Amino acid sequence: MSRESVTVGSLELRNAVLTASGTFGYALEYDDFFDVAELGGICTKGLSLHPRPGNPPERICETAAGMLNAIGLANVGVEAFCTDKLPLLRERGVTVIANIFASSVADFVTITKRLDAEAGVHAIELNVSCPNVAEGGIEFGKDKKMCAQVTAAVKGATKIPVWVKMSPEAAEIAAVGKACEDAGADALTAVNTIRGMAIDSQLSRVRLKNRTGGLSGPALKPIALRIVWDLVEAVSIPVIGIGGISTTRDAIEFLMAGATAVQVGTANFVDPCAASKIRAGIQEYCEQKNVTVRELIGSARR
Amino acid sequence: MSIDDLRSRNLAPRKLIRAPLLRRESIGQAYHVLTFDAPSDCRAVAGQFTMVRGAEWGDAPLLPRPMSYLTAGEAPSILIKVFGEGTVRMARAEPGEPFELLGPLGVPWRAPTEGRRQLLVGGGVGIAPLLFLARDLADAGQKPVVLYGGRGRYDLPMRHDLKGICELQVTTEDGSRGTKGRVTDVLGELLGGDTEVYTCGPDRMMAAVAKMCAERDVPCEASLETPMACGYGVCLGCPVPLTEGGYIYACTQGPCIDARRVDWTGDHAPTRVDTEATS
Ligand SMILES: Cc1cc2nc3c(=O)[nH]c(=O)nc-3n(C[C@H](O)[C@H](O)[C@H](O)COP(=O)(O)OP(=O)(O)OC[C@H]3O[C@@H](n4cnc5c(N)ncnc54)[C@H](O)[C@@H]3O)c2cc1C
Ligand SMILES: Cc1cc2nc3c(=O)[nH]c(=O)nc-3n(C[C@H](O)[C@H](O)[C@H](O)COP(=O)(O)O)c2cc1C
Ligand code: FES
Repeated sequence: MSRESVTVGSLELRNAVLTASGTFGYALEYDDFFDVAELGGICTKGLSLHPRPGNPPERICETAAGMLNAIGLANVGVEAFCTDKLPLLRERGVTVIANIFASSVADFVTITKRLDAEAGVHAIELNVSCPNVAEGGIEFGKDKKMCAQVTAAVKGATKIPVWVKMSPEAAEIAAVGKACEDAGADALTAVNTIRGMAIDSQLSRVRLKNRTGGLSGPALKPIALRIVWDLVEAVSIPVIGIGGISTTRDAIEFLMAGATAVQVGTANFVDPCAASKIRAGIQEYCEQKNVTVRELIGSARR
Repeated sequence: MSIDDLRSRNLAPRKLIRAPLLRRESIGQAYHVLTFDAPSDCRAVAGQFTMVRGAEWGDAPLLPRPMSYLTAGEAPSILIKVFGEGTVRMARAEPGEPFELLGPLGVPWRAPTEGRRQLLVGGGVGIAPLLFLARDLADAGQKPVVLYGGRGRYDLPMRHDLKGICELQVTTEDGSRGTKGRVTDVLGELLGGDTEVYTCGPDRMMAAVAKMCAERDVPCEASLETPMACGYGVCLGCPVPLTEGGYIYACTQGPCIDARRVDWTGDHAPTRVDTEATS
């Protein structure tokens, strides 16, 4: 076991740094930048049963220390992912987390079965918290019964570990997390974006075509940190922290709050090598302090 | 260099470089040329762009800004028009201030066709990638025609740099320079069977230019402008609608594209309030 490695349920990760779904493409876009196999893992863009074109523009807009997005889960679909992308990721030795999305429990299961037939998918992350689609997104994620139902159905369809991605908008997020744990989830990831909106005062017009979009980036970090803390309190499965992580220090804060690993999202847009730099930064920190990453986890709680 | 050399260039790998500002030249209040001290040769090609961000901006403005290369090499430069927070900061930057540049990004201008006359149609700050192209064409022994429009005389930055390397025609809406009117008022006379058009400027201008070219069966390349978060194909924030249906992503499948493929009447990112420069 190296100083850097962490365990998420039955899955051992090279290190605690992953990249967040929708902010890293299919991880094949990074050949010019760095070897993504060095990361703890990569979460794919949200995959649906069929390809989706996504929402009309304007899809993104910058806000104070953050951004709003309403991409609408544009993606190639699970079939094209399995035939065109996954073989390349496998070849490169990348730890792949397939993030999936559907508007019904049955479709979640169908996508899962398709992924289960492939080698090289190390975990499945259920996106039950997308704020930008009419059905199946955030409304699933706010309802603990629905979350538990999706989790149990997906667990029943695969041996691949299942992670459930939490919505920061759930009123009783600890209860939602607990329900997912009870339904068999191997880990929780937190958080997805929280809905916001922006208006162009000069044009007296809503900026995003979808009106609302998910807030991400540094502005989201304090909310995410609080939710991670609460979830770690409520469940005994691992929690993976996401939200505004841009620096090594941000990542370490999430680990100290009790996250077993972290995902880097919006920071990838500012620097394609952000996750790689954060990984190296954590390693350096641990060497300096003579601690392992495992020892950092939850250290602020003790 | 010949036209063939322009056609056979390979695109350089993309890289995030840290580059201090070498100098900033102001062209009135609204326009500035920023030249950077790159650690190595920047092999950008005309029409490509870079994502630019001050290395010390902290958490806001958060995202880098897409900017066309004005020149490449060891001292790559950009021409900016001041709009909001990001470009305001760029316009105030002093030599030595560190910047981060991600590039070269995107699809460059389609290589010129031997035997055709290149007609470059630019509006305001859209002149940047066209001036880069005009310089390449001049180096290859061509003399392109450049049709350059602005609201008024202060919205024609870099027009002096165009003199000598092209046949320059200028239009202003207020008639303070060149022909009074818009580029499209003059374009009709210049579009012949042997011309090919390259255009960059406000969406409405490019849409009108594209329409006139399509009606006359003249090839037309446009450089798309839309908000971008990443600039390298992972956020999916930069869709532009196509006539054939669906979208292309402007950062990786553009910004330069055959204008006939673009659905200019479809949903585009809303146009911004683009104020006239007054000095
Ligand atoms: C391929 C490409 C090349 C470009 N080349 C140039 C150039 O050479 N010179 C130049 O002055 N401008 C250029 N632009 C436009 C330039 O990126 C915007 O003017 C700039 O991002 C505005 O930033 P701001 O902070 O001043 O404005 P703000 O309005 O404060 O920006 C807020 C956010 O919205 C985005 N945004 C808003 N409007 C636009 C827009 N029309 N296009 C792109 N992003 C927008 C910004 O990137 C930023 O994330 C180019 C755009 C693209 C897509
Ligand atoms: C442009 C964009 C697209 C996203 N797409 C997805 C997605 O497809 N599936 C998903 O579960 N989360 C998606 N997210 C949410 C991120 O994975 C992450 O949870 C969120 O952005 C918070 O982290 P950050 O602040 O580090 O970006 C997206 C976020 C952004 C900014
Ligand atoms: S700007 Fe991110 S995909 Fe084009």
